[in-house]
Amino acid sequence: MAKAAVIEEAKVKASKPQTVWIGNGNEAVAHAIVQIGYDGEGYYPITPSSVAGQEVAKAFAAGKTDIAFIPATSELAAIGVCAGMAIAGGRAVDVTSANGLLLKAEEMPAIAGLSLPMVLNLSTRDVSAPLNIKNGHTDLAACLGFGWLILCAPTVQATYDMNIIAIKLAEAVNLPAIVAYDGFHTSHANRKIKVFAEQKDVRELVGEKPKGLSIFDVDHPHTFGPYMNDDLINTKVQLEAKMARAYEVLPGIFKQYAEHSGRSYNFVERYGADDAEVIMVMINTGGETAKDAVDRLNKRGEKVAVVIPKVLRPFPEKELVKAVAGARMILVGERVSQYGATNYLANELGAALQRVGSKAEIIQRTYGVGGLTLTDDDAEKLFEIAIRWPNVDDPDEQRRKWYYGAWPGDIESNPPVTIEAVTARDKQLNIGQDKVNLRDLSEMTCRFEKHAACPGCGIFVNLNLFLRGIDGPVVLMFNTGCGMVVTTGYPNTTFKVPYFHNLFHNASSTATGVVEMYKRFRKQGKIKEDITFIAISGDGGADIGMDQVIGAALRNDAFIMLEYDNKGYMNTGAQLCYTGIKGQRNSNAYIGPQQKGKTTHHKDTIEILRGTHCSYLFQAAESSPVDMIRKARKAQQTARDGGFVYGKFWSTCPLNWGMKESNGPAAVKAAVDSCLFPLYEVEKGITTLNYDPEKRNKKVPVTEAFKLMGAGFGHMVKPDFADVVADVQGEVDRRWKRLKGMAESEIL
Amino acid sequence: MPEDSKFKLPFEDGLGFCNILLSAIGGDGANMAAKMLFKLGVMKMGLDGGYDAKYGSEKKGTPTDVSVRFCRDGTVVRSVGPTTHPHILVAFHESLIKILRLNKGLYPNAIVIVNSTKAPEKIRDILELHSGQIICLDASKIAEETRSRLNMPMLAMLCNVLKFPTEAVEKAVEKQWPKAAEANIAAFKAAVNSAQKAEFPEDGKYPLVPFSRVRGELGYLNALPGGAIEALKYSTVKRNNSEARQGPCPIFNEDECTNCGMCMTVCADPGAISWKDKKMQGVDPSFCKGCMRCVVICPRTGRALRDPHKKEEKTQQKDKNTKALSR
Repeated sequence: MAKAAVIEEAKVKASKPQTVWIGNGNEAVAHAIVQIGYDGEGYYPITPSSVAGQEVAKAFAAGKTDIAFIPATSELAAIGVCAGMAIAGGRAVDVTSANGLLLKAEEMPAIAGLSLPMVLNLSTRDVSAPLNIKNGHTDLAACLGFGWLILCAPTVQATYDMNIIAIKLAEAVNLPAIVAYDGFHTSHANRKIKVFAEQKDVRELVGEKPKGLSIFDVDHPHTFGPYMNDDLINTKVQLEAKMARAYEVLPGIFKQYAEHSGRSYNFVERYGADDAEVIMVMINTGGETAKDAVDRLNKRGEKVAVVIPKVLRPFPEKELVKAVAGARMILVGERVSQYGATNYLANELGAALQRVGSKAEIIQRTYGVGGLTLTDDDAEKLFEIAIRWPNVDDPDEQRRKWYYGAWPGDIESNPPVTIEAVTARDKQLNIGQDKVNLRDLSEMTCRFEKHAACPGCGIFVNLNLFLRGIDGPVVLMFNTGCGMVVTTGYPNTTFKVPYFHNLFHNASSTATGVVEMYKRFRKQGKIKEDITFIAISGDGGADIGMDQVIGAALRNDAFIMLEYDNKGYMNTGAQLCYTGIKGQRNSNAYIGPQQKGKTTHHKDTIEILRGTHCSYLFQAAESSPVDMIRKARKAQQTARDGGFVYGKFWSTCPLNWGMKESNGPAAVKAAVDSCLFPLYEVEKGITTLNYDPEKRNKKVPVTEAFKLMGAGFGHMVKPDFADVVADVQGEVDRRWKRLKGMAESEIL
Repeated sequence: MPEDSKFKLPFEDGLGFCNILLSAIGGDGANMAAKMLFKLGVMKMGLDGGYDAKYGSEKKGTPTDVSVRFCRDGTVVRSVGPTTHPHILVAFHESLIKILRLNKGLYPNAIVIVNSTKAPEKIRDILELHSGQIICLDASKIAEETRSRLNMPMLAMLCNVLKFPTEAVEKAVEKQWPKAAEANIAAFKAAVNSAQKAEFPEDGKYPLVPFSRVRGELGYLNALPGGAIEALKYSTVKRNNSEARQGPCPIFNEDECTNCGMCMTVCADPGAISWKDKKMQGVDPSFCKGCMRCVVICPRTGRALRDPHKKEEKTQQKDKNTKALSR
């Protein structure tokens, strides 16, 4: 095998000054975004890519960038914002991971088909049920056929560099580009890297965005995104041609980048013995780690090497074939699998080798899924399997395709029953009872065991209290969020009742499906139980899933939906939710010379749902426990009568509010007394105020709540936030007056 | 430019790395401490390396680990994730040693820093350390007395072991947390002055324990389809929140309690307030995470339910009447 030029990542001297920078992969992405000078970013938080957007928001607040940073209501919305920016001629960027990528999947081929250059940073993560938030390449594999350019960044350094290369490439061929770096392994790894010392050098290297067709050209209007029939196939040929063009221009861009930065990249990197007989092919951190194993094995005289593709689209067939030439055995390691078929990269490499008549054997291992870290020892074990294959002891390892790191379990294990199911069949605490005695509620068995939420978390305060007002068997359905994460860490569960978590945004639709089957099976006589169905969501679930909540409300489906509103995306690191208060500090709405926290007023979810004319809507709080129980009972009766219920709680988050845990009850009370969170209910369109702080002479300014709610709000009582607070107070008073007006009316 | 490029690391593995593992609980500040240490090592000591954490959806109060790997500048940094073979182990809570089996993967002649009131000899037996040095310090007390945080005394001892110059470290701490500089520096000094150290040469008492990953009894042969959990058998009932709780539980006095039920309505860890026959029984420490919500809502605060941090009210009976439940 010739040591070909494609493999060498030669040392070049930088023509532009470079400086040492310390940070993680996400921060490196943000640093590049700011330096490139994007016009706009559509954003939605998802682990593990969230910080990449937050850092841009932070730079914006500090006045270091004038980017139009738009926190959207969902991943699809975020990339839709980007598509709009791009069609308007703006330079747009987005960051995402896993489920986020799949939710925006519909827009992905559309952006490629529309020939819109932009960059999407993909902090890779597994997509699965059961939910896993760690690394895997399911999301990346889904992108292979979207028509996007795909660059892979194995290190923090490469993540920064590839961002600059990606936008240049995208704009050179009018295609969107993905930069894929490993979630957690790279996104959260802190390293010392080199970056351009001067922003202007990055901007000069990237250059002005080439002029294309413009939606702003009113003199020569164009119709973008028409309806197309037979002609569609021609757009596919154009896409293919653009990919071919990208293959041609990319080496030049790599070269130019190397001249400016001193850092050199190519389609493929090969590392190890020149005469390697056994080669492992892996992208990203897996490949990088394997280099350490290669060093060790080469020292022992083993002829091995690792090949790391840095570009997946356009697929660098020629370079890859050249890089693995001479090998008798190739192990393709992928952080993903095509169940029931051979894997993605293995297939593409296999087909390419077949075209050149190679006789190399290819075996495949899915590894590092769900965050399992591939250590250098693991890489060495994989090499050893490849060296000896198929003469390995473990029969599973004799297979061509297998899963490295999986374990069979102990089939003898049969742990004892440790809890009793909570059916509460015998509990008749609610029926026919108008009065609520808190002491009696202690007779209702709690539906949960221990959970792992932070001390003083409001989620289980509210759910526990509410559920004490619900008799009989319940089935709980959760949206993704803190509430599900802290309760169901495999293999143990907190729930003593049936439970289902589906996705972040669709507990409502899931509940509709479950309830329909319940009605059907009950009618058929297959179910005798009187079950109450409760869907539970954080306030984020009512951003990303609002359309589905509205759907359930419009159908008036017979279940209760509860929202624990803690004023932000607390499970992903305190990003803003539309329920948050104007001026609130969020990890993507900072306080700085250019921004004063969240820029919009809190969403009024109950009022949005009022327009669906569903059976029962309410807001309840722990500060009025008797009212909460009364509402639970009414909610259960409403669902039993076949109607939809939506209830909202003001839920404390000591961690992300920066609040002392024991302040919780007082903070909730102040929110209620200030009318930030009025306690009221809407029954078939008729409004009732359940607690009027004005009448009781208890109304306080909103600042009383902010004082108690911790550092995320505490700044709002300071003089330089007087204008923001006056604005919030005005809005709260306006809504309160409107609500009182409705409560006073007989028909509203 | 690094101020000290001739700095020598106390350990180097085959790839040239000195591996440090910090085992802590979410909220301890281990992440911040490690990040600062990493920046200090790179910017001031002329080192290179990596700072990686076991990130995930862990919340405040759940175990987490953070690792810093240092190498000489010029060494290629490739692998990712927390170290599996520490030379230096820093345990922020003594209780984590057994739960997480922290001796796994430790090198011989390791340095172990533990927040504990126990003697190093006792910690050696708990850890089952093959060989090395154990340094014990009552970091919780130091943090409380100096009004600093747990991460400060632990970081101080770690920097001391690494032989990072005190002045540079203190300067970095001041820069990172300017508002708490005085408290943090006090914690730094107290830590170094109060530590108990003991050496344990290889004596055959405990074997070297290789690194291994935790593998549960459920695997691809016997896990229920779709990862479903059989709730009656696999319940969090066995979890003990005492291990994660920062600080004590509220103290309950049965004689002062009117069984009004308010504590139950605000409890963030349902189950922690135990009831029987409509009577409040006390606070179950295996549930309670010590948020003190129940104490503040109690109409007889300081009498029926009391925060142990706060002074007893005069009417309160002595501890013989207090009761804390345990299962």
